[in-house]
Amino acid sequence: MTRFLNALRDGVGFDILLVGAALLFLLALAGAPLVYNVLMSFQQVDMFTLGVLFRPFVGFDNYVAVVQQPEFWMVTRNTLVFVFGSMTGQFVLGFALALFFAQDFPGASTIRGLFLVSWVMPGLVVGAIWSWILAGDFGVLNVILKSLGIIQNNVFWKSDPNFSIWAVIIANIWLGLAFNMLLLSVGLAAIPRDLYEAAELDGANAFQRFWTITLPMMRSTIGAVLSLGLIGTLQQFDLFPALTEGGPANTSNVAGFWSWQLSFQLYDFAKGATVSVMMFLLVLFASVIYVRSTRHEVRG
Amino acid sequence: MQFTKISLLAGLALGALVAATPAQAEDVTITVWSIDGANQVGPSDTFSAEFDAMDNGINVEYRVLQFDEIVNETLRAYATGNAPDIVSLDNPDFALFSSRGAFLDITDMAAQSDIINPEAYFEGPLNSVSWDGRLYGVGKYTDTIGVFYNKDMFAAAGIENPPKTWAEFEDYARKLAKPAEGVYGATLSARGNEEGTFQFLPVIQMSGGGYENVNTEGAREWLSMVKGMIDDGVLSQDVLSLGQWDSTGTFNSGNAAMAISGPWEIDRMVEDADFDWGVTLLPTFGEGDERSSALGGFNLGIMSTTKHPEEAFKVLEYFVSQDDRLFPEFGYLPTRGDVELPASGIEKKDAALAVFQEQLKYAQPRGPHPEWQKISKAIYDAEQAALTGQMTPDEALSQAQATIDTIIKK
Repeated sequence: MTRFLNALRDGVGFDILLVGAALLFLLALAGAPLVYNVLMSFQQVDMFTLGVLFRPFVGFDNYVAVVQQPEFWMVTRNTLVFVFGSMTGQFVLGFALALFFAQDFPGASTIRGLFLVSWVMPGLVVGAIWSWILAGDFGVLNVILKSLGIIQNNVFWKSDPNFSIWAVIIANIWLGLAFNMLLLSVGLAAIPRDLYEAAELDGANAFQRFWTITLPMMRSTIGAVLSLGLIGTLQQFDLFPALTEGGPANTSNVAGFWSWQLSFQLYDFAKGATVSVMMFLLVLFASVIYVRSTRHEVRG
Repeated sequence: MQFTKISLLAGLALGALVAATPAQAEDVTITVWSIDGANQVGPSDTFSAEFDAMDNGINVEYRVLQFDEIVNETLRAYATGNAPDIVSLDNPDFALFSSRGAFLDITDMAAQSDIINPEAYFEGPLNSVSWDGRLYGVGKYTDTIGVFYNKDMFAAAGIENPPKTWAEFEDYARKLAKPAEGVYGATLSARGNEEGTFQFLPVIQMSGGGYENVNTEGAREWLSMVKGMIDDGVLSQDVLSLGQWDSTGTFNSGNAAMAISGPWEIDRMVEDADFDWGVTLLPTFGEGDERSSALGGFNLGIMSTTKHPEEAFKVLEYFVSQDDRLFPEFGYLPTRGDVELPASGIEKKDAALAVFQEQLKYAQPRGPHPEWQKISKAIYDAEQAALTGQMTPDEALSQAQATIDTIIKK
């Protein structure tokens, strides 16, 4: 007994205790809901069975029904456009800003810190602000674009099916930009300065230094930023109700918002769960690719 | 070990029994859920507090919920056995619960009651609380939609009367639009949510259809007409994303000559609009054709899981007995015809009210159907797809019809 207690206080037992606590936490708060969600996607759910665990099993009926919804392919396409559009925008602009603020000029780090403001803002607030900026008849953006002579007539960002998904993407890029920039700045700061000095002595120009030093040294940071970006974009929700509500006619509806709509507006909890399981598979697929692509490399 | 567990349980049970006994002698508590009081003082919160203050052995515990949450909260509470005794729901959401027996059948209680008389209610509100010929609740208040029009703009354009038909509505809107000054001919809400269906379904109904039969000639014509007006800048494209409150805001600020909306706008319009305005009935397709309008408003029902049906019914009776205060105190229209609405003394408001009371005679409920929300999505999706030009009106309405058929057949 004493040996057991000793091991618990100081030794393998203590390690197991710590790992066990973390695992238990993970299983209870992430694992169980996940399993419950998957289970629900194979069941028939209505208000009488909402509170019970074992409901009538319907196989893949929910999946078939979701794919057969007329809006399914449009939502799929929108989700891909939204994810790639947002991630590209956030990453490219974030990287550019990170490189810019990595230069040594007065106030660089202060201004970089101020960028965090956009990341601190709640999504609903950002959505409401962008909703005013992007308004059709009285929006600020239309006034600016008109006075610059870029457009002649107002662009109805939120109501035009050609622009609605881009309205949300623009707001989402602004929202996620600071987070990308910050993570990439940390990566940049970790690259030893002497590498650049040596390259400069060898006569490498700025582009060569970026291509052969910065990018390869940043590989793991970039991988992390992109996978976090994918997850963050797929789970983006607040901007949709605040900006377009997925409309008009589902042209800006994405999987995450659709899943919420099915569950909490149409009260079809099984289909909502089904869509979220499909999203989960997509993220899983992306993570596997990410893990596989970085498995064999030597990290700096 | 086993023994101690059992004795522990027995002890607990005994303790619970002892604790429960004095509670029986105490007052009965009835919980009421509603959205009243979330933005402004409303009838349910006021009447609950009044009833609670009475010394009659019944306490009322009132809980305010947000509009977007109340159905979900009630579903969750019902599934986990914590449902309130009385809940107030938007009328198209009511059938979700009444069709499954989650609301208490009050047909017999109402027959005995001196206060609740089902025959006094307007047909629309009554239908929305009925299921299979039984009564599951009462209408709390109601509203509908008509056309507000800017009399100054009409006079300036030499138009004497408000539009009676949709053809006149389009004609006048085209005459009244002044794109250079940022004035649209009209505004409405074709938003991708219940509000879109709220304004579009009456058009389907007055053209001979209904929620189970949406692809009517009139509905197709109307969609083509509205799309043409959006394309020509007579209507703002933002009618696709604006709710009724925001859409009518552009009318109040003089940026639209007509607005389709309801009596909830009247008080704000009296304050905000610095021009002469009036209300007219929703246009029809031909002069003297069938009329229709939307039926809005909330219902009250007793949940079937209540432990105190008698007391809950008494609370409900009290709410109904105060119906004559709905309009003067809260600006809501009662759901029954036997309540006198006193004149407010504000000329425009009283005139508007008379029109909306007339319009209420033609108001038809959405549903009732237990899966109304899905039917509604099919309808507003079709409207949006047609108005954005993604589909022709016929394609959009056929697709909606196919979706609705699968829902209704189930």
